Formats: sequence, structure tokens, C-alpha cells
Amino acid sequence: MIAIGGRRLLAAVNPAACAAGLAPGMPLADALSFLPGLAAVPAEPAADAAALLRLAEWCGRYSPWTAPDGTDGVKIEITGCGHLWGGEAALAADLASRLGRQGLTHRIAIAGTLGAAWALARFAARSGGPAFAHPDDTSEALAPLPVEALRLDPPTVAGLRRVGLRRIGELYPMPRAALGRRFGASVAQRLDQALDRLPEPLSPLEPAPTRRVRLSFAEPISEPADLARAANRLTENLAHWLAREGVGARRLDLAFLRVDGQVEHIRLGTARASRDAGHLAALFAARLETIDPGLGVEDMILAAYRVEPLAIEQTGLAGTGVDTAEAGLAPLIDRLGIRLGPGALSCLEARASHIPERASVNAVIGEDGKTPIIPGRGAAANPEPMNTGSADLARRVFLGSGLGPAGRPGMTKKKAGASTGKAPRPVRLFRPPEPIEAMFVVPDDPPFRFTWRRRSHAVARADGPERIAEEWWQPDATGAAAAVRDYYRVEDAEGRRFWLFRAGLGEQPHWFLHGVFA
Amino acid sequence: MPPLLTLDALRDQVRHIENPQMTRHGVLPFGVEAIDRALPGGGLALGALHEILGAGGDEEDGAAAAGFTAGILARLTNSLESRISPQPSPRLNGPTEAPRENAAVISLRSLRGREARSEPAYPHSPRPNGVGSTLSRIAGEGADGRSPEAGEGAILWCLKRPDVYGPGLAGHGLDPARLVIAAAKRDDDILWAMEEGLRTGRAAGLAGVVGEIGRLPMVAGRRLQLAAESSGVTAFLLRRWRNAAEAAGERGRPTAAVTRWRVAALPSAGIADEPGIGRPLWRLELLRCRAGVPAAWIVESADATGHVCLAAELADRPAMPRRTVADAPVRRAG
Repeated sequence: MIAIGGRRLLAAVNPAACAAGLAPGMPLADALSFLPGLAAVPAEPAADAAALLRLAEWCGRYSPWTAPDGTDGVKIEITGCGHLWGGEAALAADLASRLGRQGLTHRIAIAGTLGAAWALARFAARSGGPAFAHPDDTSEALAPLPVEALRLDPPTVAGLRRVGLRRIGELYPMPRAALGRRFGASVAQRLDQALDRLPEPLSPLEPAPTRRVRLSFAEPISEPADLARAANRLTENLAHWLAREGVGARRLDLAFLRVDGQVEHIRLGTARASRDAGHLAALFAARLETIDPGLGVEDMILAAYRVEPLAIEQTGLAGTGVDTAEAGLAPLIDRLGIRLGPGALSCLEARASHIPERASVNAVIGEDGKTPIIPGRGAAANPEPMNTGSADLARRVFLGSGLGPAGRPGMTKKKAGASTGKAPRPVRLFRPPEPIEAMFVVPDDPPFRFTWRRRSHAVARADGPERIAEEWWQPDATGAAAAVRDYYRVEDAEGRRFWLFRAGLGEQPHWFLHGVFA
Repeated sequence: MPPLLTLDALRDQVRHIENPQMTRHGVLPFGVEAIDRALPGGGLALGALHEILGAGGDEEDGAAAAGFTAGILARLTNSLESRISPQPSPRLNGPTEAPRENAAVISLRSLRGREARSEPAYPHSPRPNGVGSTLSRIAGEGADGRSPEAGEGAILWCLKRPDVYGPGLAGHGLDPARLVIAAAKRDDDILWAMEEGLRTGRAAGLAGVVGEIGRLPMVAGRRLQLAAESSGVTAFLLRRWRNAAEAAGERGRPTAAVTRWRVAALPSAGIADEPGIGRPLWRLELLRCRAGVPAAWIVESADATGHVCLAAELADRPAMPRRTVADAPVRRAG
């Protein structure tokens, strides 16, 4: 039952209602007059679509190329898959029996083109048995079907009927030009698609995997140990194929097809192309506990979605470690990533910025599918390591006149380029900077005492200021005076060294502690 | 053979009878005579677990500990890299030091029934400021007989809050590009990640593993030590405690680590007529060392090459209790 424009219409009817003369599209009021005891429930198109999507996914057991079709169908590209099931008829029979077990009424058709299969499924197949059309007999099979079977919009169908064209076969002898002039290009196009004169690609639900291996079970399995064993066998099988093709997988998907038609997935990426069955199996094993097998899993499908060339490696004797030398850190990064979660692993990446927190960022490894830089390898080849990069880029303004009384003890002004050449940076940097309560004599001076984390520190010595202004060329620049920071390196009486800054230039500046020096 | 050489050789032999695992993976000298003398084998044992504590308020932040560790790792990775370069560099160590080490290493090898090599010491460039020579002496081979080179140099740094700062580490000599940061929420996960790293081994390109940890059960420490021993990767535990209570509970607990250090920031060494912050100083304490002697030094913090050096005696420096090997109470542990 759906509500359209204030009227309530029937969206779908069951066989009993159909027998009583009800049909989709009929107003509910009329239907109730036919059948006073009619049980009507609101339609849930979203839930229907989700269920259809799930069904399409489940059909992945027959072929990787599946997709929902409209609101009431699933298309499966089974080219090259039939023989795995002992022929197309056996495949259809298997599909029918499994759908029947799930309590789904269905009509199955297998044909040479998407259009022909669509027509046959809806207009030729009966619930009892599937309809077949051999590619050579497509036109004969379609000829007796009504023109609606060509996937045309209702006005076009009405137009065809008005001129007496009721069956598809009646369109065959018609001149194309006349058809096109009168009914638009869609009739000829659909006809050609159904008869395999025009190609019609099927866009699959998932991108087509590069390599896929499947394991079906005679009895549904649900024990974790069984699932783990099956995952091991699949990874071994996949690794075998990947090795033959000289590639390694970067993105993998292990699908668990449950008896009840639900599909569970473990998707993972690897830091480096891998076809090491043991390694991949261990990655899956770490995630197996997230899988709910429900009443049982009847199929498992392992697909490699992204592969990269991987040279054939000399596999060492057990324990000689040749494999680890070749793979480098990638297996370790994969294992850590699996347990610690996405985003836990990062590299320190130098950026061209003089704002301290932007000069070095934690770049998450494996994000955006980008290949992580495995440090160490080739680190020596990098002619310009970070320690010469960011610090030199930092724009430092040393204030000449902003300092307090020149003779004040415990304070100095360092000239740019004095002694070390670059201002020291703390080993620990707090993000965001932690606010402190500072006591100062003149706003331009470093504080003589500050309180950080409820502990008071007396400043014994200080260096600075180092003025770091906002990056005015960045889109998020505010231009506010508070964005200007004056950094001071201070040492307390105990000898601990801190990096403080004063935000803003006004009479009431805010002080922050940004880092701790070693 | 002078008597000193014989004695050292004998000491080494005894050490290896006591604990054959001890310096299997070689040592990394500090290049500071006083520190290296306190350590068995003349340097920080590689392929072992080292524990580094902060002091005072820094126990929470572990900044000095991180700086000290960064310096060690900088020298470790640089020494590994210099070994890869094929051209033989001339021997640069002072002649007084080299024969002693030769003797020690050769005796070590002959004891283990291996072929003695004529040049066990790998010369390395001397310290720029000439306070001592860095001698990266990686005496032992890997556990599986493979040489440990081949692109080593990555460092796994496991922590709870990723607050290590690249430019700061670079200031102590460690190239931040070498770091793989693993952030974990719990101590257990950090220990697990460290162990995974250690088990991966040097062959994968890992030079060191660092973990910042609060609570360390004895068993976990022992596991890490065993993993480090078997793989040859050197591990560092930076102890960071959230509060004084946790610090008090953990500070005195025994550990499976080979050495335990405490690094405390000291007021910097001022320069005459320059009242600002001078050269940063650390009070470096070797609290515990298996087969070594506990001692303490006042050093200048690790410089841009990762080296520490003994602080120059300055008249205006506040008096600090200073223990050297000679006057330290002899307490052998392990």
C-alpha cells in the first residue's frame, strides 16, 4: 500500500489477493470493497531496496557481476560461470532451490542479453521453472512476448499498442526509420539491445575483482575454527593464483554468505602488495570474531580488488627469513593496523610551514589507499632529511626592541643565526597547546612564574621571543592580532625547559605551553 | 700483552660464561669513556631491552627520556647506515683504545668457536667536537648468521598520545622520517605492538622499538627482553606515569630490562656574560645494569648527531652530587 497524492494505492498484492481480482495500483478503497477482510500494511520501499541489494550481494555466489535491477529484480552476469555449476540449467536449478528455501517467489531466465533475460523473466518464465533462450534463438524466444517486455516507458507502449503492435515479433519486420520517427529512438534501441545488436554493459554492485576464489560447504558452518580453516584455504588458493599472475593483493574482501541470505564482509588493505597466504590468513583471522555466522555460512568468497605487480620472490627455507627481508615492514604494519585500528599508525611528515603544529604532521599510513612510505628503506637515499627542511623554512622574526630592560638577569636575546643557526624545537609538542597562567612584569617579557597543570614553575632563564605569525596566505587565516605568537624557551628552577608562547599583542595576552624540551 | 688487556679479556669471557646471550648482538658505545666503562662490553647492548625513566615532573611527559632515546637511536641508525657504505674508511680511533677492543672481541669469538676476524671493530667518523670517538662496534652477527645490514633503520615508536615532535627529535639527531608511530589506547596494546615489532626482526628493516608505557608487569618485560634477544632489535621502554601515585608504585619495581636509566633535566650550563639558556644538561643515571656498575654523570644533552658528552666543569654551575665509577657504591645486579 502506498500513499500518492492523498490517495492510498496498492503497491503489491499476494497471490490470494490477485486471485480475488486485486492488482497493484488499485486504490485501497476499491480493494476493500472487493475484499472487506483485506490486510493492508504500509509499503517500505527503502527496506525493499535494501533487501534487494542484499539479495544481489548474496547472488555473488554465482558470479562477481551482480546488481539489483529496478525495484524487483537482480541481474547476474554468468558468462563463463555456468560450467562451474554443471551447466546453466543446473545453475538455475540451484538458484531456484536456494531462493525457494529462503521463502522467495522467483522467476528465473537465462538469455544471451540483458534485455532478453529481463523480458523472459517477467513475461515467459513461470514460478515453476526457469526460461532459457539460447543466444541463437533469442529473436524467436522474444517474438511472442508483449511489447512491454522491451523495457519501454508506458506512453511508448501505449503508442505501439494503438497502432496494433502488440508482440515483439511484430516489430521485427518494421522499418527502423519509421519506428524511430514515430516512437522515438528508444524502441529500436531496446530491441537492438535485446537482440544483441547493441552492447549493454552490466554495472556490477561491487567493482569487478581481479581475482576471486570461492569455497562452498555441503553443510553450513558456523564454528569459528571452521571459518578460520576455510579462510586459510581461501587465502592459499588466492595466493596460488596471484603468484601465477605475478601480482600481489592490496585490497581484499572476504565475504561470508549466510544461509539466510545475509552477507558479512571482512575488508582489509595491506601496506604492501602481498600474496603471502600465511600473512593474509593471519590478517583475516584477527578480524574473524567480528563475523556473525548466524545460522551458518554456506559460501565464502575471497576477492582481491586491487593488485599490484609483485616480482617472483625466492622463498627461503623455513626460518631463514628471506621472505621477511623482502617484505620489509609491510606485514608488521598490516598486523598492527588490524589490531590497533585504522588511523593508529602514522609517519611524521615534514611540511613547509613555520607554524609548529603544521611543520610536522602525523600522516596516517594507508589512508586514501596511498602506499605508505616505509621508513628506513631508502631513507638514506633521501638527500634532504627533515631536520634541515622545516626549521629552515620557519620564518623567524626576532624582535629587536620588544625585549625588556637589557641588563635584566636571566634573560637574553639571541640573534638570528646565533650559535646553533636555528631555534631549538621541543621533543614533545602538545596539540592543542595547553593554557597556562603566567605572571609577567611587562607584557612583552617572558613570564617570571607560570602555573601549568596545577604546578607552579619559577622561570630561571629564558630565551626569546621568536615571533611566529599566522600564515596569511592560507584560506583560514583570520588576520587577528591574537593569531600572532611570541615563543619563549624558558627554564625553570629545576632545569626543565618549556616552550611557551603568548598569543596576541594586547594588554591581556593569553599564555600557552606548547611543548617540552628534552 | 699488557696486564690490562688480559684482565679485560678474562672479564669478557666470564661474562659470556655467565650469560652467553649478553652481547650477542654487539654494543653501541656512547663514545664517552666514562659511560662506556660502566657498561658491559663497552656500550649499550643491542638486541636488548632498556628502560628509561624521567625524573620529577618530567615523569609525566618523558621529554628528557625521549630526547635521550632519540640520541641513542640516531647513533644506532647512523652506525647501521655507515656500515652499508662499502668503501673502507681508515681507522680513526685513537691507538690506545683500539687494541683493547680487538682483544675483547677476538677472545669472544674464539670462545664461541668461531673464526676470529682481523677487523672486528667498525671504524666510524669521530665525534665532531672531539670528545671521544664513536665506534660502532657490532661485534656479533645476527641470530641466523645473516649480517644485519640491508636497509635497516626504521623505528617503531608506540605511544598513547602521539606528542613526539619531528623537528624536536631531529634536534637530537634522529631523522623523523624513520619513525613509524603506533598509537594505542592501552598499555597492553603498546606492549603487544612492541613485541610484534621485536619479533619482526632486523631483517625486515627495523632498527629499534620504543614504547611509552605506564604499568609494566614483570612478565611483559621479560617477554620483550626475550623477543629483543632473539631478533637483535633494540628496545626502549620509556616510562611515563600519569600521576605521582602511579609513579611511586612503579618506580621501584624490578624489571627484566638489561639496563635502567634515569634522565633528569638540569639547569643549563650558562655561558659567561650570556644570561639566557645555555647548553642543556642532563643528569644521566644508570640505575641498574646487568653485569655492569650503576653510576651517574652530568652530560650535555644529545646534540644534532645524537651524542652526549660529559659536561665541562664550570665554576658557576650549581654544585651537584656527582658519582663516577670510581666512587660509586659497587652494586652488581642481574
